[in-house]
Amino acid sequence: MAVIEIDGVRKRYGATVAADDVSLTVERGEIFGLLGPNGAGKTTLVECVSGLRKPDAGRIRVFGLDPRRDRARLRQVLGVQLQQGYLPEALRVGEAVTLYRSFYRDGADPRRLVADLGLGEQWDSPFGKLSGGQAQRLSIALALVGRPRIAVLDELSTGLDPHGRRNIWEIVERIRDTGVTVVLVSHLLEEVHRLCDRVAVLDRGRVVALDTPDALVASEGGGQRIRLRVSEPLDLAVLEALPGVTGVREDDGELVVSGTREALPVVTAELVRRSVTITALRLEEATLDDAYLAITGRATEENPHD
Amino acid sequence: MTEPIIAARPGPAAWARLTLTEAKLVARDTAGLVVPFGLPMLIMVMNGLGADRTPVPAFGGLPALDAYIVPMTIAMVVALIGIVNMPSFLAAYRTTGVLRRLSVTPAHPVLVLVAQAVVSLVQTVLGVALALALARLSFDLTVPRSLAGAIGVFLLTVAAMYAVGMLVAAIAPTVNAAVAIGLALFFGFLAMGGGFGGREHLPGWLADAGAYLPFGAALDLLGDCWAGLTPEPGQLLALAVTTVLSGAAAAWLFRWD
Repeated sequence: MAVIEIDGVRKRYGATVAADDVSLTVERGEIFGLLGPNGAGKTTLVECVSGLRKPDAGRIRVFGLDPRRDRARLRQVLGVQLQQGYLPEALRVGEAVTLYRSFYRDGADPRRLVADLGLGEQWDSPFGKLSGGQAQRLSIALALVGRPRIAVLDELSTGLDPHGRRNIWEIVERIRDTGVTVVLVSHLLEEVHRLCDRVAVLDRGRVVALDTPDALVASEGGGQRIRLRVSEPLDLAVLEALPGVTGVREDDGELVVSGTREALPVVTAELVRRSVTITALRLEEATLDDAYLAITGRATEENPHD
Repeated sequence: MTEPIIAARPGPAAWARLTLTEAKLVARDTAGLVVPFGLPMLIMVMNGLGADRTPVPAFGGLPALDAYIVPMTIAMVVALIGIVNMPSFLAAYRTTGVLRRLSVTPAHPVLVLVAQAVVSLVQTVLGVALALALARLSFDLTVPRSLAGAIGVFLLTVAAMYAVGMLVAAIAPTVNAAVAIGLALFFGFLAMGGGFGGREHLPGWLADAGAYLPFGAALDLLGDCWAGLTPEPGQLLALAVTTVLSGAAAAWLFRWD
């Protein structure tokens, strides 16, 4: 069942197109990723869904509610963690969560929520004294304190170290496990691949791809990347012509062969046939990074004048 | 299987909690307490120590402390909190995204404006009460001959100063700008209104203008109430007009993010 329906949404600020005919649906209980470079229109879309901005055209429904007309009802079921939402420096963790709890009809127990997010010891700490990760977890607590059915999390791991990032990811998975639908805005591919059930790739206001992370990887050739060093110079065209090979390039003395899973035996057989010795070989699974670069790169080529 | 979604606006408990939270934040802002409480009182004490209680005919026979120094102290407390302190809080809330964060909850960000206004009003009343108590104990301050009038003028002064403060908060793009604009207005009002010595030394047109700006008007009107003289209707009107115009402009121009 779709809990968020976005249909033909357009939004522009002056000459900048932030949303260009965006259509997508978010299903109940999934972690849905909005992925894209800075300025792709991710935050604009989230702001339209939250009722903070009115689209120039198109239709948005969240649980069948119009985000602007039915604002008061929407607020009770949609928890939003905005990018750049700070708190007064002197406000303490416990005070903030208790205050935000009082805004909602129904909500979580502030002390338990804070403890669940690993901030139990910071209950009396002022916001200004929190580390980046703690502030981000408090921000999530404020988005969850009204027991929302959908949580929108915008760039939640920005500025965190790898440890803090993993910590936040576990929290997001736990949120989903409690039945909350999560919309995750991110430009971190590792984060999206690890967390999201489906992901929409946005580029300059357009949805340029929408699928599961694995399907996105597969759609862009998927498979593998073979990095190898050989004993003597080799004509790249020889490898390119082989079945299963989708691309060959040289990278700092290494040959990088992209292709399907059949490529490895074919390439090694060809090298043996030509009596070329392989001095080093490394196999890499294609990642979402590759797919993402291919998808957004193609979008740029198709619209070079944007 | 799905419960219906029921709209709910935050109730009185949320209002109370928000106001209490604002009060804690204001109380923790130590620098914000020292200036509006300390500066006017210090000026009052320095003036009070040097003065005997000689009756001044122009003040209806009251000493200058009662009819000039204390009214000036009151107007200064109101102006400092209303024009400098409150806008800096609100500008900080806007620039750091506090208002934006509130706008995605069931609480409208206007709630925080109201809470901040209420709290700073309490702060103002407290500051004025402290100054009055000190003047009463140390310098035998008299009760205003027109007590109701003095209270009325005080409230009107608060309204006018706060409306100007809201306008500052509405247009200041940063906290720094809010403090700078607030202080410039505060010193300007004071200088033109007689806060740094009598208006009679100013060029005539400047003194006339100063008498109708919030500080000068409040100073004269409070002095009149202490002395039991009839307040100048033009100055009362000036405070009311300032309140309405600044308040309307603030509501019109206020940027939430």
